[in-house]
Amino acid sequence: MKISLLQPGLVLLALLLPLQSAEAHHILGRPGYSLNEDSNTPPSVQVETQAGGYALTYMAFPDIPRPQSPGRINFYAARISDGKPYPGKVKFLVRLDSWMTRFGIRDHTETIGVQSPDDAVFRQGVYYGPAGDYIITAEFEVDGEVHRVEFPLRVGIPDTIGPIGTAVGLMFVLLIGFGLVQRRRSLTGKIRAHHEKESPP
Amino acid sequence: MADQGTDIAARKPLGLWRHLNKLRWLSLSCVLAMLIIIPYLHLYQTYTASHAYDLLAPSEKRIYDAMEILTAPFVSNPAEDLDAIKGNTWSGTFWGFRVSDPLAALGQSVAGLNVHWPFVATALIPIVVTLFFGRIFCGWICPATLIYELNTNFAAWLRWAGLKPALIPDHWRFDRRIKYAVLAGGLALSALSGASLVAGVYPPAIIGRETYYAVAQGGFGVGSAIFFATLLFDLLITRRGFCRYVCPGGALYSLLGRYRLVRIRRIAESCNDCAKCNVICEFELDPMRDDFGQECTNCTACMAICPTDAMTFMLRAGDYPAQGPGHLGREYRDAEIKQSEAAE
Repeated sequence: MKISLLQPGLVLLALLLPLQSAEAHHILGRPGYSLNEDSNTPPSVQVETQAGGYALTYMAFPDIPRPQSPGRINFYAARISDGKPYPGKVKFLVRLDSWMTRFGIRDHTETIGVQSPDDAVFRQGVYYGPAGDYIITAEFEVDGEVHRVEFPLRVGIPDTIGPIGTAVGLMFVLLIGFGLVQRRRSLTGKIRAHHEKESPP
Repeated sequence: MADQGTDIAARKPLGLWRHLNKLRWLSLSCVLAMLIIIPYLHLYQTYTASHAYDLLAPSEKRIYDAMEILTAPFVSNPAEDLDAIKGNTWSGTFWGFRVSDPLAALGQSVAGLNVHWPFVATALIPIVVTLFFGRIFCGWICPATLIYELNTNFAAWLRWAGLKPALIPDHWRFDRRIKYAVLAGGLALSALSGASLVAGVYPPAIIGRETYYAVAQGGFGVGSAIFFATLLFDLLITRRGFCRYVCPGGALYSLLGRYRLVRIRRIAESCNDCAKCNVICEFELDPMRDDFGQECTNCTACMAICPTDAMTFMLRAGDYPAQGPGHLGREYRDAEIKQSEAAE
């Protein structure tokens, strides 16, 4: 009886296999768009630094966080002297990083969460907000002293042309525009300047 | 005749000379465009070498596609072939041919307290060209020149519009020797620090670096602020002030081109003393009185604007001796009338 059920099952499987959608394969491995924060080896943004006698590693997943999507921050802290992991809790905070916040406008810091070590890793799940630049702060205490380490986080694809690029572009347009359209008037200005220099008051 | 030099086109300048200034603008535009395109080419080269098209962001894909279209007629294997063109006006490789700015060779040698001859040799061609043509790099190649000349036009337009942006009185003049002090000081500090510090304030080097930063790293460095300051200096203090008074590269080129062979000279017989050459001269030289000196970049703007074709090239190791007023001008005619009256 069992055999009779297996046979049609195998036939059905054989019929369904060709109908499976083709998996994309990239020459460097799995393409980035098929990896997410739950993959075993997702691409990430990684920053390493030291504070309070600990070697710190910050990783944000995925490497280009999409706006309004889930992600993860992993934080590793190992004592420099003996490699032992940090035993306490780490508090994660976030704030916007823009020229406005540097001048104190919309400079609002929000706590994401407080995490205990999980297999020597402080895992902080996040839900990324709107596209923009953010600063993630990891706060931890060593011997009564509070240490705050700030890491950058970019959510979404950065603008192709930023504010400085726009300013440079505008400057070029302005200079070329005046150079071409106002050529005669510029020459008049040069003549006027020359006369004023040649005959000072 | 040997004393007075050899006119390349005798008493009448070649018709071509008048159009050299347009060619110069084309040259400057091409160099600036090249400085912007080369970093994009290298991004494209990196993308192709890593077979990363599927991983690119939409904006990066646009760069990839644009560069693919641009290079397709010339290269079959971008990952390899685009190695042929690298660098900028500071130092670069063009189809295996290496060229460096003389200031790069000098600055690096001084900073390292060691002369690396293969590197110095890459500056040989610019040095030889400068010995013949003077500060031709400043007038014809420097990517900053295009922006500075447009800035001069803008400042002149402001003046036409009644806005006088100058922060100092018009008749104030700085000492042109300041730039030699900047060069000497920069080299001395480079020797002390071990880093080629002159590159930090040298506009063509700054532009080369900043375009790379902007394209490859998505942002500008502190050099852009320095360059912006030089533009403000020119706008608010004095016309082309940075090139004339501060630029260490300009100082080096002026020294190398002091005895240049190819010079512009005025044909006094054709000159009507209209002074348009003096007005147009970016370096505020005095072509109308035969005073070009070692600062002249052979930019040919004075040739282009002269209404009587009174400017030409000559071969001579020094400026043409002062010829007095132009023969078509009022001053010369009045003097002739006085002379004839006195003779009568």
